[in-house]
Amino acid sequence: MDPLAAIRETFFQECDEQLAELESGLLAMEGGDQDPETINAVFRAVHSIKGGAGAFSLEALIRFAHVFETALDEMRSGRLEATSDVLKTMLRASDVLADLVSAAHAGEEGDDPRAATLADELKAMSGGEDDTSESEEDWGDDFDFQPQAVSFEAPAGPTGFVVRFKPRADLYAKANESALLLRELARLGEASVELDAHDVPPINEIDPEAAYLSWTVTLTGDMDETAIREVFEFVDGDCELSIEPIAADEAEAGGEPEFDIGSLLAKVQGDAPAATEEAPAEIEPAAAAEPEPEAAPEPAPTLAVVPKAAAPEAPADALASTGPRKTEAGATIRVDLERVDRLIDLVGELVINQAVLSQRVMEAGLARASAVAMGLDELEQLTREIQDSVMAIRAQPVKSVFQRMPRLVREVAAMTGKPVRLVTEGEGTEVDKTVIERLADPLTHMIRNAIDHGLESPEKRAAAGKPAEGVVKLAAFHRSGRIVIEVSDDGGGINRERVKGIAVEKGLIAADAALSDEEIDNLIFMPGFSTASEVSDISGRGVGMDVVRRSILALGGRINIVSKPGKGSTFTMSLPLTLAVLDGMVVSVANQTLVAPITAIVETLQPKASDVHSLGGHSRVISIRGGFVPLIDIGMALGYRRDPLPATQGVALLIEGEGGARAALLVDAIQGQRQVVIKSLEANYRQVPGVAAATILGDGRVALILDIDTIVSVSRGEMRKAG
Amino acid sequence: MTQIQAQPAQAQAQAAGRRELISFRIGAQEFCVDIMSIREIRGWTAATALPQSPSFVRGVINLRGAVLPIVDLAARLGFESTEASDRNVIIVAQIGDQVVGLLVDAVSDILTVTDDVIQPTPDVASETAKTFVRGLIAMDGRMISLIGLERVLPDHMELEAA
Repeated sequence: MDPLAAIRETFFQECDEQLAELESGLLAMEGGDQDPETINAVFRAVHSIKGGAGAFSLEALIRFAHVFETALDEMRSGRLEATSDVLKTMLRASDVLADLVSAAHAGEEGDDPRAATLADELKAMSGGEDDTSESEEDWGDDFDFQPQAVSFEAPAGPTGFVVRFKPRADLYAKANESALLLRELARLGEASVELDAHDVPPINEIDPEAAYLSWTVTLTGDMDETAIREVFEFVDGDCELSIEPIAADEAEAGGEPEFDIGSLLAKVQGDAPAATEEAPAEIEPAAAAEPEPEAAPEPAPTLAVVPKAAAPEAPADALASTGPRKTEAGATIRVDLERVDRLIDLVGELVINQAVLSQRVMEAGLARASAVAMGLDELEQLTREIQDSVMAIRAQPVKSVFQRMPRLVREVAAMTGKPVRLVTEGEGTEVDKTVIERLADPLTHMIRNAIDHGLESPEKRAAAGKPAEGVVKLAAFHRSGRIVIEVSDDGGGINRERVKGIAVEKGLIAADAALSDEEIDNLIFMPGFSTASEVSDISGRGVGMDVVRRSILALGGRINIVSKPGKGSTFTMSLPLTLAVLDGMVVSVANQTLVAPITAIVETLQPKASDVHSLGGHSRVISIRGGFVPLIDIGMALGYRRDPLPATQGVALLIEGEGGARAALLVDAIQGQRQVVIKSLEANYRQVPGVAAATILGDGRVALILDIDTIVSVSRGEMRKAG
Repeated sequence: MTQIQAQPAQAQAQAAGRRELISFRIGAQEFCVDIMSIREIRGWTAATALPQSPSFVRGVINLRGAVLPIVDLAARLGFESTEASDRNVIIVAQIGDQVVGLLVDAVSDILTVTDDVIQPTPDVASETAKTFVRGLIAMDGRMISLIGLERVLPDHMELEAA
């Protein structure tokens, strides 16, 4: 990738973050958040997108972002009230902005009619004056691409500019010099310079590395803003800079250089006698350096020897009060996912190695209290901690996928004409990145379903005495080492009569089948089931809850539904926290050690001879609480033995596979449960039917992880052939 | 020299025509493979059997965290299966982007030969010979077959037959 493309890619990545920030900020405000920092964050998000777009000349994006930003600025300054209608428009604008960003990312920039309409709405809100506020909004912002992008909008021909310039400590740290910049500025026209030394603390609190001084330069004469910006080109980002055209009367009045050296000196000497005594030598150069801007203010090197002990808390305070107010930059780094995965692999190997080593030491007959064994115990704790920490790197809050839902809800609500409020809970719950990525589709589908099928129409709700606005709740929390995600609605609940009718009609169940309420509810997960009577745009495209269920199962999760007529339905998904490890039941089969994923196992039982019936050949069924399920001998299914194991000599694992099919797997014995690291078989070999993956156990040997669905379906096929 | 065409890249890389081979024994037979494809040599460890696999695939072992399939080279080449014991050796070879362990009786030598020493395989009826043997080397009165490893892992037909 060439460097520019890489920067572009980074820009779009950042855009995604900014958009998320924007939306959550707007939603918080809609929820009544009046913290000025929230609106500032929202404003900054749009502003940064605009700035970046300017750098890449993404015209449509710049134009829309600019209008949006102007409206937000009006809101920030209190001229536009953040009413619910205004915020709704803003939320729609954030959707459009997101679309424009993705269009730009795909390189399909064009004029979106929606953007144009919304831009007009935004302009109307901000009172039409969207151009002139341009130059002031950079104050305090360190992201500045505008000049190239929007200079065409700057009104021509002011007679001068007022330049406010406040260096940050970084400016001096990078060996820049305010005096030189001011001198440069003075060359552009007639300049009067005003020093603001308000922020200079008493001498004993001065942080030698901080920047306290700022200047206001009134420039008169014929020049343009670009020329002024060029002066500050190299300190861009290291200072606060504002350039404003002079108001007509101000230009005439000019501005006398007001500079009160006396007061500064008084401040320096009067407020800090103690410091003066301790370090008299330092005062001189400092005082001499400050008064005249042209005389190179070099406080940093000269003051560097001021004894810090005299004012231990000063530096922090000084920085806090004078430094640029940065919203917590969140100390994060971007790391290639591959590197993290490699680290996880390595740690997985470390864990295995450690287990092997422990076992070897035990085998060698060393006492548990021996120094070696104790050292190993510590090693084990450390490795586990390392493993947890490494897994935590991949963990991300579900926020990233929850955040996509408000927009979906808005859109589906608009399409169905049902007012909906989305409530989210537990957005901070963390889970592996891969799980998050693969959650988006099922969640989208379930939320659509909840609104389309779950919620009643406003009329029906009114009739049922419910508020017109339906509520869809999305919640996440951790429970026993897994993440649980719930999607619930306060709609009518599942219409069991209809669900059963459809299932019979589609031949999914027998017409006279006696089903419990729970079983009827679960029919909606059957393939080819869709309750929408008309195929709508939103759901009912043949893919239904069975697809959701399958993708959840593929993630090693489970899903079920609880529905109360008239009260609503709740879908509960329980998912593993990571895909790199799996909770397994370690079993032995014909002298082989195998691992069965615990998620698939419903219960384990010791078959009684009277419960097992032969169907001829090697096909057997086992009766469990009145029903018959096929009994599959794993040893035979995998070709480890030729003759079936007598059922009473083994243990049966009752499992539920894809589509809810049940079967009992017969194994010789259960060794125990443990978390295993999943290893690919395909990397060096190929896929093996009946085997999902491999893992390495504590003794260093490879154990195969069963692919239960394949085993069940294969043995079904064989049964059919046999029958 | 037709037999070199099997490894054209290598032939170019070693313009002088000198190559290093690692030789090993399977029963009374001696074979060799190009040393460049060998990653390491290790002792035998019991393998975990794989279902639905041809008999020459002995299973998989743990090689420092990676799952490594083990091919019984004797069975693969059409001899009797190896009775694996601690005296056996696994040659870990890189084949394409996969890593495979080859079960052999013992590693005997490293040979440095020039291409002209490698004689073309005479026409024989055996399919295995055509599939694996790339050439023959006569050395101190012994015959060493140079084998190519590209098709050591089972192909689709062999899997179905299993």
